[in-house]
Amino acid sequence: MASKRFILKRLLLLVPVLFGVATFVFVILHLASGDPARVILGQRAPQSQVVQLRQELGLNDPLYVQYGRFLVDAVQFDFGQSYQIAQGDTVRSVLADKIPVTLELALYGQVIGILLGIPLGVISAVKQDTLTDHVGRVGALSGISIPIYWSGPMLILLFSTTLSIFPASGRLGSTIFLDNSWQLFGMQLPLTGMVTIDTLLLGQFDAWVSAVTHLFLPAVTIGIYSMALISRMMRSSMLEVVRQDYMRTARAKGQGSKITVMKHGFRNALIPVITVIGIQFGGLLGGAVLTETVFGIGGIGTMLVSAINANDYPLVQGTVLTFALLFTLVNLVVDITYSYLDPRIQQ
Amino acid sequence: MSRDTVDRRTFLKSAGAATVVATSLAGCSSGDGDSGEDTTEASGDGGDGTETDETTEQDDDGNDLSGTLVYSRGDHPTNYDPQQTTSGEVAKVTNQVFDTLIDFVPGSGGQLTDGLATEWTLEETTATVTLKEGITFHNGEEVTGEDVRATVRRFIDEDYEYFLGNENRSGYSSVTFGDWVESIDVLSEYEVQFNLSQQYAPFVRNLAMFAAAVMSKAQIESVGATPDDQATIGTEPQGTGPFTFEELDNSNERILLSGYSDFWGEGPNVAQVIFKTIGANQTRAQDLINGDTHITDNLDAQSIQQVDGSGSASVVQKNGINVGYMAFNHARMEEFRDPRVKRAITMAVNRSAIVDDIYQGFATEADQPLPPDVLGHNDDLEPYPHDPDQAQSLLEEAGASDLSFELATFSNPRGYNPSPLQTANQIKSDLESIGVSVEINQFSTFSSYIDYTYGGRHDACLLGWYTDNADPDNFLYVLLHPGVDASELSADQQHIAWEDKGNASNVAAWVNKDYVELVDDGQTTYDEGSRRDIYLEASQIAHDDAPWMFIDYAELIRGIHQSVNADTYTVSSVGGPYLELVELN
Repeated sequence: MASKRFILKRLLLLVPVLFGVATFVFVILHLASGDPARVILGQRAPQSQVVQLRQELGLNDPLYVQYGRFLVDAVQFDFGQSYQIAQGDTVRSVLADKIPVTLELALYGQVIGILLGIPLGVISAVKQDTLTDHVGRVGALSGISIPIYWSGPMLILLFSTTLSIFPASGRLGSTIFLDNSWQLFGMQLPLTGMVTIDTLLLGQFDAWVSAVTHLFLPAVTIGIYSMALISRMMRSSMLEVVRQDYMRTARAKGQGSKITVMKHGFRNALIPVITVIGIQFGGLLGGAVLTETVFGIGGIGTMLVSAINANDYPLVQGTVLTFALLFTLVNLVVDITYSYLDPRIQQ
Repeated sequence: MSRDTVDRRTFLKSAGAATVVATSLAGCSSGDGDSGEDTTEASGDGGDGTETDETTEQDDDGNDLSGTLVYSRGDHPTNYDPQQTTSGEVAKVTNQVFDTLIDFVPGSGGQLTDGLATEWTLEETTATVTLKEGITFHNGEEVTGEDVRATVRRFIDEDYEYFLGNENRSGYSSVTFGDWVESIDVLSEYEVQFNLSQQYAPFVRNLAMFAAAVMSKAQIESVGATPDDQATIGTEPQGTGPFTFEELDNSNERILLSGYSDFWGEGPNVAQVIFKTIGANQTRAQDLINGDTHITDNLDAQSIQQVDGSGSASVVQKNGINVGYMAFNHARMEEFRDPRVKRAITMAVNRSAIVDDIYQGFATEADQPLPPDVLGHNDDLEPYPHDPDQAQSLLEEAGASDLSFELATFSNPRGYNPSPLQTANQIKSDLESIGVSVEINQFSTFSSYIDYTYGGRHDACLLGWYTDNADPDNFLYVLLHPGVDASELSADQQHIAWEDKGNASNVAAWVNKDYVELVDDGQTTYDEGSRRDIYLEASQIAHDDAPWMFIDYAELIRGIHQSVNADTYTVSSVGGPYLELVELN
């Protein structure tokens, strides 16, 4: 019961957060200069056409009327049509296309970060102040310090240009186009938008290989940063745990050091690391912008930057609110997981 | 409590198991990745994909339709309706899918040739066009005069049942047809007559603009009558062009086109064209060097060097039909109404340093509003010399030695100005050396910049223009005509108040009655020789009065891979790219 109340409370807290973000975005965009009618019609359009369109879009209405209209639509997740970046498309369909792209990249980056970061952190802690620890710590520090716009091109230079092992850009081979849906027991089902999953659903192994090879370098680029952060957190958390009394007791009872570390130490040390992983995942969604740019992957991050540059208000509003929603949801999941692992949190 | 504990353990065990599975999967992926170097991306011509059909067939003319041509670019619009956009990125694709009544000769400086029309005449206020017979749209319907009429009405006629809607149609609706076409009559199945509101010489060239592409009436009527319905044509366009629109892959930012075997003109010579998107210039250049891209554009100076030194790809360039300039706002700054002040500012700025150093030589210095390939470009004119001493004495003579003004500029590169901030800084430092103080006002987004300058809030601003139709009127009227009747102007008038101006894209608010009369004459003169004489004179006036500091005419740069038969690809300064002519080695 406590658990349900905790979740409900956290869900209710989402409402003021999202309302605040929506208001903030609306105000900022309407303070910015640039006429949306001119954005839609372009440099070539005569002023008379611009004036007519302003009227039709309701841009001459008082700000509070526009704000009210925006809120009513936003509640229904309807942000209208993109002005320029995806002209003629609804913001909803643009987001449906782009979110899986960034989500897939962030997920794989996170998986790489976790798979490398956790063992590295544990080893560093267990072998504290040895050469292994020093190497691990320097590696982690470098991982955090090296910016993505440097590590990305370096990986391209090495693995794509010099060694020709991985492709430099995109998500799939140039000539591979996937169907729009897949079949299960004769039913047409929509695809996920994540190429590494869709290619498997469609049973196209060659395309899956292409998707994985394309995703490898960008995921590693993100993963390096993620790995560094996780390993540092894991190390310090582990160091704290190994000094606990129950660890000494376990050893005193004659339990082997490896078993003690893995069975008693690791699980307890994992709790704060999970929080970091969760919060960081939200950050990865935003951090994917640079990686997407370097590797020519058209995700939601690069699209948001273009939308801001083009004064594409509906797209910016829709994307920022979606980001806020995703970020808060991820944090909610983290909190729930955390409280699940350590029931004292709910108190 | 004990149940909770068991659940947590189960959870942790499951997490452990998942980690093991993930580890083995990752190992698996990585192994496949290593051996995956022979996937499509490693192929020299990007052409051995697993999904698209690499058909080898012949079209009606016996052309070998094999291979896939990959064109990379920096942006991926999602709507490919020629009437819904002003974007050149969209036009690159719609020009493959649609045809216009009249076309530009590939690789020319804007000469006209047949499109869907075999003949056209322009007499007084009537333009008559005769269509080729037997041309079919990709949906199988034959092209007739009714298609032309439906196309134009969809764009400009609010009373038409299938009107595209003010919220969807682009600014070209007025420029191309709306300002000039009063009605359109279908004289016979293959003959159409445009009734114009006035004599208008550039109208023929307007018919060659990408926004004037002929659409299928059957498709227009099949998608539904509301503007929202009409907007959907942008995702499934059906034209008469050399390639059919097969797939719009927004997730991966790609477009797949297939060769149209019933295409009426020359080509296509490849089975498929793929437009793919790589935002970062250097990554796009690397993709070209690797052979995964055949043709690319919008390269900056660094990526041009990258391609040039690669050995596997090369850079091709051509004079563009564009102009970059700094406009003086005559409505706002009284000092700019004296030609001596504008000439002095021009002479004080080292424009050859801007062109040669900042633009790295991929442009030539401008001396008049019309670029070299356009009718009426005056070859007798020369750029004002760089002469700070004479500039200073001209300013003293005009009593404007303590001049100071704001210079507005956009931030992101554009074709005619690849480094706007550096350009503004060069102007500022050159002018400060003769005592003129300049404050740079920088805008981060181009649309807010256009809003500012079209609103007349600048003292001076950097801008430029790419041609739509290679007609002199497209520069001289659009950019420098005040948009009012010449009879309303006095002979010695130097400027017009911003609110009286009838032409939004004239950001100089400059007035010279002789110039206005000449440009008006040019619009209504149909004889090419007489028109040339008119524009030569207008160019001379613009040069002498210097309403702008003329900066540059930029070149067009493309990168092509060695697997493209270089003789078959030509850079076009207007229209194109003509990918139907391209052959792969």
